[in-house]
Amino acid sequence: MNQPADAILSLVLLSILFSFGSSRLPSLIKAVAFQGIVVSLVPLFVGHELTAGGVIFTQVTLLIRGILIPLCIYMAIKKVRIRREVEPIVGYHASMLAGLALIVAAIAFSRKFDLPGIGQYALLLPTAIALLVAGMFLLMARRNAIAMVLGYITMENGIYLVGATFSVRAQHIVEFGILLDVLAGVMIMAVILQNIKQTLDDVDTALLRTLKE
Amino acid sequence: MIKPILFWLLAMLTAPFFSAVILKVKAFFGGKKGPPILINYYTLFKLFQKGSVYSHSTTFIFKMGPMISLGAAVTALLFLPIAGQPPMFSWHGDVILVLYLLGLGRFFTIAAAMDTASPFEGMGAAREAYFPIICEATLFLTLILFFMLSGELRLSAYFFGGEPLHLWRAAGAPLFFVVIALFIVLLTENTRVPVDDPATHLELTMIHEVMVLDHSGPDLGMIELGSYIKLFFYSTIVTRLIWPYDMGNAFVDGALFAAAMLAVYGVVGITESVMARYRMDKVPKFVLTSFALVFFATIITLEFMK
Amino acid sequence: MELFFLSLLLIFSGGALALILQRFFNPMKASSSLFIAVGCLLGLIHAGTWMARAGEAAATVYSIEYLNAFTLAFRIDGLSAFFLIAIHLVSMLAAVYSFHYMDHAEKPLATAVNYFFFSLLVGSMALVVAADNMITFMLAWEIMSLSSFFLVIHNPDAAENRRAAYLYFVFSHVGAMFIFAAFGVMYAYSGVFDFGSVGAMPDAAKILALVFAFIGFGSKAGVFPFHVWLPHAHPAAPSHISAVMSGVMIKTGIYGILRMYGLIGFHGPVFGEIVLAAGIVSGILGVVYALGQHDLKRLLAYSSVENIGIILIGIGIGMIGVAADRPMMAMLGFAGGLLHVLNHAIFKSLLFLGAGGVLQKTGIRTMDALGGLLKNMKVTGTTFLVGSLAVSGLPPLNGFVGEFFIYIGGFSGATPGGRPFISCMAAIVGLAIIGGLALACFTKVMGVVFQGEPRSEAAKDVGEAGAAMRLPMIVLAGACLVIGLFPTGFVLMAVEGVSALGLGYDTGELGTFIQITGNITRGGAVFFIVFLTILAMRKVLYRDKTVSRGGTWGCGFTRPTPRMQYTASSYSGSILEFFRPVAPLHETHPPIRGRFPDRTHYHSHVDDIAEKGMTPGVVRPVLFLFDKLRWIQHGDIHLYIGYILLAIVALLFFV
Repeated sequence: MNQPADAILSLVLLSILFSFGSSRLPSLIKAVAFQGIVVSLVPLFVGHELTAGGVIFTQVTLLIRGILIPLCIYMAIKKVRIRREVEPIVGYHASMLAGLALIVAAIAFSRKFDLPGIGQYALLLPTAIALLVAGMFLLMARRNAIAMVLGYITMENGIYLVGATFSVRAQHIVEFGILLDVLAGVMIMAVILQNIKQTLDDVDTALLRTLKE
Repeated sequence: MIKPILFWLLAMLTAPFFSAVILKVKAFFGGKKGPPILINYYTLFKLFQKGSVYSHSTTFIFKMGPMISLGAAVTALLFLPIAGQPPMFSWHGDVILVLYLLGLGRFFTIAAAMDTASPFEGMGAAREAYFPIICEATLFLTLILFFMLSGELRLSAYFFGGEPLHLWRAAGAPLFFVVIALFIVLLTENTRVPVDDPATHLELTMIHEVMVLDHSGPDLGMIELGSYIKLFFYSTIVTRLIWPYDMGNAFVDGALFAAAMLAVYGVVGITESVMARYRMDKVPKFVLTSFALVFFATIITLEFMK
Repeated sequence: MELFFLSLLLIFSGGALALILQRFFNPMKASSSLFIAVGCLLGLIHAGTWMARAGEAAATVYSIEYLNAFTLAFRIDGLSAFFLIAIHLVSMLAAVYSFHYMDHAEKPLATAVNYFFFSLLVGSMALVVAADNMITFMLAWEIMSLSSFFLVIHNPDAAENRRAAYLYFVFSHVGAMFIFAAFGVMYAYSGVFDFGSVGAMPDAAKILALVFAFIGFGSKAGVFPFHVWLPHAHPAAPSHISAVMSGVMIKTGIYGILRMYGLIGFHGPVFGEIVLAAGIVSGILGVVYALGQHDLKRLLAYSSVENIGIILIGIGIGMIGVAADRPMMAMLGFAGGLLHVLNHAIFKSLLFLGAGGVLQKTGIRTMDALGGLLKNMKVTGTTFLVGSLAVSGLPPLNGFVGEFFIYIGGFSGATPGGRPFISCMAAIVGLAIIGGLALACFTKVMGVVFQGEPRSEAAKDVGEAGAAMRLPMIVLAGACLVIGLFPTGFVLMAVEGVSALGLGYDTGELGTFIQITGNITRGGAVFFIVFLTILAMRKVLYRDKTVSRGGTWGCGFTRPTPRMQYTASSYSGSILEFFRPVAPLHETHPPIRGRFPDRTHYHSHVDDIAEKGMTPGVVRPVLFLFDKLRWIQHGDIHLYIGYILLAIVALLFFV
């Protein structure tokens, strides 16, 4: 644990466990917000020299990813007064153990790749893979719509890290574009959510089935 | 040989004092004066002077319970380097023996509770049997990590002198997760808030206190003493990890160690003051967090050691 | 070797005597159990002396021609001698126990038949571990399976007993089929039936034979998911038979796995990992299901599954150690596993004998109807306590010693790097969880069956078990304590057993073992000194104090009844909740309604996923397959003769 990047990445992995163990939406949002902040910090410590523009981009990313999006979602759940329970399909204990298993699997899997340039960051690729799978897991294993949105955001964090892994130069610009899309998506989601709530009195995604003709 | 015995005796003598620190901290947070700092000694003296009442339902196991749980805690302390001093005994694999001895103490505490035919004590016993299962898994996982870092399987290789510092150097930041996990284990094994509330008034919500409802007099005193020593045992482990330095002088080390211990007990007190007890079905998740943390630390360390 | 056959002669004649003397109930029991016990004692002396001079003599070999067609060959080496000790010790005590336990004088024939098959079972187990070629082995193996089948069906009046026996029959013969398959693979390459001359096989054939053998022997040993017969057969059989079956008979499966491993000599990591994984799963699920049981003997049967799991964890660590070329890890793992074989034989038979005492005196197997037995059954209760401590793996008893060795073996493999680390980590954490669950399980048994207050009329005012029943329990409890405190000799015996596997490790590192056992002894001594000091302190503190008795504190409730006690179901409820995915808990509880509610009840039941999955997973596909083959059978006798002709022609072509 000599690289500061690895210390930060281990915090990212930890945030996965927290998000799997959270039973209430506010704590899940906090976990994802924490995740967003630490994920945004990673580029500061990963190898290539920082330009002033890069630093600014990183800060803006942090602002959006760590503060703006979570805040948006938090306001959304405040406004529509939905149930706070994340309504798991897979229980919390099982989720937590699954989280541990997926971290192990991600580490084992990442050894298959041999990417130049990130050799000294032992955790970078495993964390990215773990985030992607963790997002998928949240999507599959939680019934609550907001929790699913948070799953998407976790996945997006993973994609961001993959981007940081693969691209060296242009990462900020591409990433920034994606991030703005996500922000827009979250805002639309907040509006739609309100509408779903008004129509169905709930945001349980299982109820969407009733919309079927 | 003199020094280990001295520190061992000192540990047993001061264990009740440290426990009272928690009460003081809690009183401070509650805006109260709190009991005197020597309250636990007064309680012990009071209990040792009394006689006992035994239930008609009980057998010899009821009387064995306090003795064995105290004996297990005292024996465990014999293997633990206190304040970085060498322990009385140390050999390959002593950690496993110590953990299983504490298990023996638990077996008899539970058996003594079941002996009374009281529904409340059975309830406490069931919980006492449940939560430490996960704690044990955490502790053995921690042991694997420590073994990986130091290559040895004895308590003195982890906590003697400057050894904890070697652990920190070898593992680095992941050890921080281990400290948190061990603190969670400390809270669970010693049935503190947020797992159990030792000061609650309702038997239905207790774990440890409800199991000793029927003990009285010196028997109860032994149980209390045993639980102080057990708390001391776990706190020493956590303390040595957060204060890994070795000054080379037994007295200086002892004093600094005592200060660090006060800090750990203080944190326990603060935790108890600012947190509420979890609902019983939430506790396993809390304890499982400790397992997840250590597992996580082990994987990361493994990844770095390559 | 003469002593070995003399002991067998005595054992078998004990069985025959029972059939002859069945008119005289008590003389029959006395003579039969005496003969069997003395026979076992001789066998014990034989195996013991073999062990004592193990260093000098090579394996003892003996063979005779059988039917002028096959050779019956016997060979006793360290591994056989180790298992012989366990078999003879437990069988001897079970024989003594049976004298007071088999007290149904109105059924002399059933009792005599029971003694007859008991003697067959004991003798055939000894023959199994002494066999030195495939024919001898399978012959002894089938006698063992069949005699134990007749012992399980001892009381055929109850439908559940018949079902249990049927289930056991199916499992033991499907298992035997797999063993035949394994032997077939071996024979295909070596061309002889001798055990000594296998080994020159390609790796793929080796692993195939090993996996077949593992399934076959695993179904005898009760490895998850082949354990389904165990919890049915044990409650059906008389308790001393359960003790022998659970204590030693299922260990012949372990013997088979070890023997095959030694013979085939496949040292890749894969098989070790399979064994280890099976061990961890059996261990954890076994004890979880044990926690969920209401029937005392079923609980003990599941606990056997758990302990087989622990043994397999040890053996698996040993095999992985061999594969990774770490002699110390391999020796510790194998030695720990073997030692646990002996330890489990001792404490599990002790527990079954204790359960038999409870069953005989109260007639109840349901734990929730028992309680408070310790007050009237002091010896049974106290020895059961010792057994419970041992099965929970707590020091200073024998259960701890084996687990301790397995732990140390696991840790010595837990140095960073690759596959052994992952396996060892899983093994250690698995063992820790098993230990915690076993503690919960056996505090439940102790607390609900022996402590507290009686929950039913039948459990009140029971008498102590008969003298012939108490003696074996005391001996076994003593053995638990002796092995727990002075394990050196027993560990060396296990090491001798391991060296028979032919791994090529010299026992030059014995010093380490003696040191470890010395540490266990010292640890036990330290604990006893502390305990005695506390005991003395307690005596001083209680001098001249008033000690009185009163009711249990009921938290202000003035009319407590024994029915209010915590039950076995409630005790284990929250733990089972944690394991719900693998141990589904079904509860039926009609709700309480209205001002004057009807009587209600509560019923809970834990599903065994292997048993649940057996019908849709195995039985139905097999039935479906055989349904498709039904066209072969159409009732035309001429065509049947045609089949026979076809078979003969085919055989002539191929052989």
